[in-house]
Amino acid sequence: MSKKFFAMISVLLIAVFVLAACAPAATEAPTEAPVAEQPTQAPAAEQPTAAPAAEEPAMEEVLIALWTKEGEADGGFQYVKSLTDAYTEMHPNVKFEVVNKEVETLREDFQTSSLAGDPPELLWTVNDHAGPFTAADLIMPLDELFDMSQYVDSVVMDGMTYAVPISSGNHLMLVYNKELLPEAPKSTDELIEVAKQFTGETKALVYNQTEPFWLVPWLGGFGGSVFAEDGVTPTLNTPEMVSTLQWLLDMKTTYGIVPSESDYDGSDTLFKEGKAAMIINGDWSLGGYSEVLGDKLGVAPIPQVAGAGWPKPYTSGTYFMLPKGLEGATLDAVVDFVKFATNEENEIKQLETLNRLPALRVVLDNPMISEDPILAGSAEQMSYGTPMPSVLEMRCNWDSMKPEMLAVLAGTKAPEQAAADMQTAAETCVSQLE
Amino acid sequence: MATTTVPTKQKKSFFEGGREDSPFKRLLIHLALLAYCVITVYPLLRIFTVSIRPGNRLLSTDLSLIPADASFESYRIVLFDKPLLQWLWNSLAITAATAIIGVILAATSAYAFSRHKFPGRSLGLIFLLTTQMIPSAMLMVPIYILAIQLGVVGTYRGLVVAYSVTSIPFSIWILKGYYDTIPIDLEEAARIDGCTELEAFWRILLPLSAPALAIVFLFNFTQAWNDYLLARVMLGAQETLLTWPLGLQRLQAQFTTLWGQFSAGAILVTIPVMALFLYTSKYLISGLTLGSVKG
Amino acid sequence: MIEGGVVLKSLAEVGSTVLYVLIGTLILEAFLYLVLMRWLKYRYALPFMLLAPAVIGLLVLVVYPLIWELNLSFGNMSLRRFKNWEYVGFTNYVRVFTEPVLKQRTLWPLLGQTVLWTLINVVAHVAGGMILALLLNREMKGRGLYRTIIIIPWAIPQIIAVLAWRGEFNYEYGFINVILQRIGLAPIQWLTTPGPNFAAMCITNIWLGIPFMMVILLGGLQSISGDYYEAAEIDGANGWQQFWNITIPLMQPVMAPAIILGTVWTFNNFNVPFFINQFELESSDILVTALFRAAFQYNRYGFSAAFAFVIFIFLLVYSIFYLRATGALKGVR
Repeated sequence: MSKKFFAMISVLLIAVFVLAACAPAATEAPTEAPVAEQPTQAPAAEQPTAAPAAEEPAMEEVLIALWTKEGEADGGFQYVKSLTDAYTEMHPNVKFEVVNKEVETLREDFQTSSLAGDPPELLWTVNDHAGPFTAADLIMPLDELFDMSQYVDSVVMDGMTYAVPISSGNHLMLVYNKELLPEAPKSTDELIEVAKQFTGETKALVYNQTEPFWLVPWLGGFGGSVFAEDGVTPTLNTPEMVSTLQWLLDMKTTYGIVPSESDYDGSDTLFKEGKAAMIINGDWSLGGYSEVLGDKLGVAPIPQVAGAGWPKPYTSGTYFMLPKGLEGATLDAVVDFVKFATNEENEIKQLETLNRLPALRVVLDNPMISEDPILAGSAEQMSYGTPMPSVLEMRCNWDSMKPEMLAVLAGTKAPEQAAADMQTAAETCVSQLE
Repeated sequence: MATTTVPTKQKKSFFEGGREDSPFKRLLIHLALLAYCVITVYPLLRIFTVSIRPGNRLLSTDLSLIPADASFESYRIVLFDKPLLQWLWNSLAITAATAIIGVILAATSAYAFSRHKFPGRSLGLIFLLTTQMIPSAMLMVPIYILAIQLGVVGTYRGLVVAYSVTSIPFSIWILKGYYDTIPIDLEEAARIDGCTELEAFWRILLPLSAPALAIVFLFNFTQAWNDYLLARVMLGAQETLLTWPLGLQRLQAQFTTLWGQFSAGAILVTIPVMALFLYTSKYLISGLTLGSVKG
Repeated sequence: MIEGGVVLKSLAEVGSTVLYVLIGTLILEAFLYLVLMRWLKYRYALPFMLLAPAVIGLLVLVVYPLIWELNLSFGNMSLRRFKNWEYVGFTNYVRVFTEPVLKQRTLWPLLGQTVLWTLINVVAHVAGGMILALLLNREMKGRGLYRTIIIIPWAIPQIIAVLAWRGEFNYEYGFINVILQRIGLAPIQWLTTPGPNFAAMCITNIWLGIPFMMVILLGGLQSISGDYYEAAEIDGANGWQQFWNITIPLMQPVMAPAIILGTVWTFNNFNVPFFINQFELESSDILVTALFRAAFQYNRYGFSAAFAFVIFIFLLVYSIFYLRATGALKGVR
């Protein structure tokens, strides 16, 4: 490029930028980092939940930065925005800045921004974030602010509740294609029988064989648990774990029920393409499957382990958490919004829009649930489930189980050895948590 | 005398002449290159396949490059329903600003290193080299905290400055190497004729180092265009300000990903960078030798 | 699609940034000019003025974070001691060398793995790049086209390329296993077993890194005059001898910096090992991915700060040795 040309372009570009910068500030919306708490003035009067906008005295402006793990792919983000928009309509002085962050990112960024002294005002996230956040003392206990008895069991640590549940579930269940399999098996023996029909290209059952999240229901069925009674000591080297690992391996090699390898996307694809009769997947996937299968979609609890119990998938849900240090008008606005978002009207709306089971006890009895076979099936499975531990040590369990489970399924380790190694790894990890 | 050719695919004569190669050897060369090109391009073609495959299915038992029910629906959605163009525009704006600032900073700093022997010069060069060795994960948390404290989170200010600065070491290294191969006589002659030092720099040295400048521009551009970590740290709050890596990441929920749209976005995003690369490829070849090989 | 208001807004954002930078630089330069040139009449005023913006930028964005991390490395910050951590002297450094960095691996196997990774990749990059450069170093039809296509892996955003390859290593659907099956071999579990996973990482990174080397080597080849080869032929040297005695030595000034850069970049390469290792096999971690996990997944902030410095020192020591050994820095003065 000739020098003149180059110079001209650079000058031109800079000129364009500079001119645009000098453009009237009206086009620029506030882009500063979210404003922290306003200095306490006359506290905003508490609004009754879901009440239409009544006469309000002049309110101070509150900006709430809400970080949510809900993405757009399953409609979650859009739902969050609809809630915040509805609230702002009722309370024009409260504005929201809704940010979607991927789950791990949300955790890391919340920790870092707390360290810098400027955390967001509200979190919409998963329960196991409570472990790290309480360990680092970043979120506040909520028993004083909310009536927790209205809700299903929430995140309790050291006797204090740290989160307000928005929806419950997030649990695994048996999803099946009625066209390929009219009725779901009720026990593992039935499962083995049913699987004999599927010898060709179509598989009997698929599931994500790479994540221990899919292992724990079976562990529960065999009567085991990852933690001891105290909830913080890992108990992975147990006969129940060995049986679970053996069962997973048998499903693959001995009985040929599941394909030799499948991860989340693989199993999801097979089920959607009609090449698998059953899939073990979570409630978040029901919407997508409904679209593809329509009436042919069936939901049932994961089959009972023959001679033992019903599998216990982990249940959790989505939760609101509040950072420490909220006060004054901002705190009031946040609390009010949380109550609004989890009131009966909105919980029902969430049920309709997102197909998620509610967290408000009173809505759990809603006929909408019992009448919809999908939701009813999901609720039934949830009743067999067990709450997912939120303690910091749980991460150690997940990380220890994963490679060992993968090794067993790959045939490179015996279940007994894997269980022993899991325990060692988990113990090392816990000791490093300092 | 016989030409020293070895008729296998791996060893070739080093002569520049193509006239001396036998047709057989030529065929082999072409085949080898073609095979490599296929390996190069195939993974991308597969992404393209995912993008035209309906149903957001990342994987499929179907190996064909164009599935039977191919549709451009994902492209339509990502271009018209989702703000991909906005993300692209944002990335472009940031990247252009970064590249310009980066080139200017590097050109001037490299000049100082090349044409002046000031105290601390060799130390400075070593320092530049060592900055390349720092694992970037190390810097993320302190930079984030700094950004929060300076109030630049959610704006482009911190991001553009961060991009320009992090590309400086490599850019200075390249430019300085190139300047070093241009004899200083030309500039000295100009100064004898009455130019100031900076004028000589602007009028003589810079035009001559156009290839290296192009490379620095390209390098700055790709660093800023492709970056995810810094952008994630500095942006994220303002939806309308997202760059494309952050935007594409929006298409992923906790468990599900809209693979069709993601791949369509990936293809669309790659096109500008590829075009830029191809346009400047001839500069790349000549400029990247760092000017230190003398015939 | 895209609204005018939004277009203007990001332009305004960028514009204001450029404005700030411009004004900041002008003020800085004016200040330095007055102090250095007018007042002190410093001999080296000009170079310092030219360097000042870059220096300040690097101080803020590189030196300050490094010092912050250094400070942290002497403390025991973790989740439980988040805001109220204490100094513990060199404990972290000792622990980096003695304890497992993640779950089971200690530092030395990790270092060994990283060195192996770097070695395989750099050798493959240079060899592959050299072969391609040699093939392309002649007048031939389609040369420009070949060159353009071969550069593509370099032009693609790395994350996208890595995700594409990860899909291809899928046990059932990836084309690699499909081809293996078609030629009669057993499919390999690339993503779930340690050995194949490492191989998968290498394959992907080699694919990504060859274009860069090829471009550099081609440029170098093209500037070697043909006279040398003619003279050697007259003396009776064969192709292989010509390659070792003419090409390689003459390419040394070009290759040495490229190899150093390539080594450092590969050693610190984060994207490829992290994303290909979809199931977080600890065996596939190299130093920087282990660092990332220690810092962000396990939140061992103090420990990982010390770890980061140890990695940095390794690289530094290696680079100094390499530079001394090849005398490559001679060209730098």
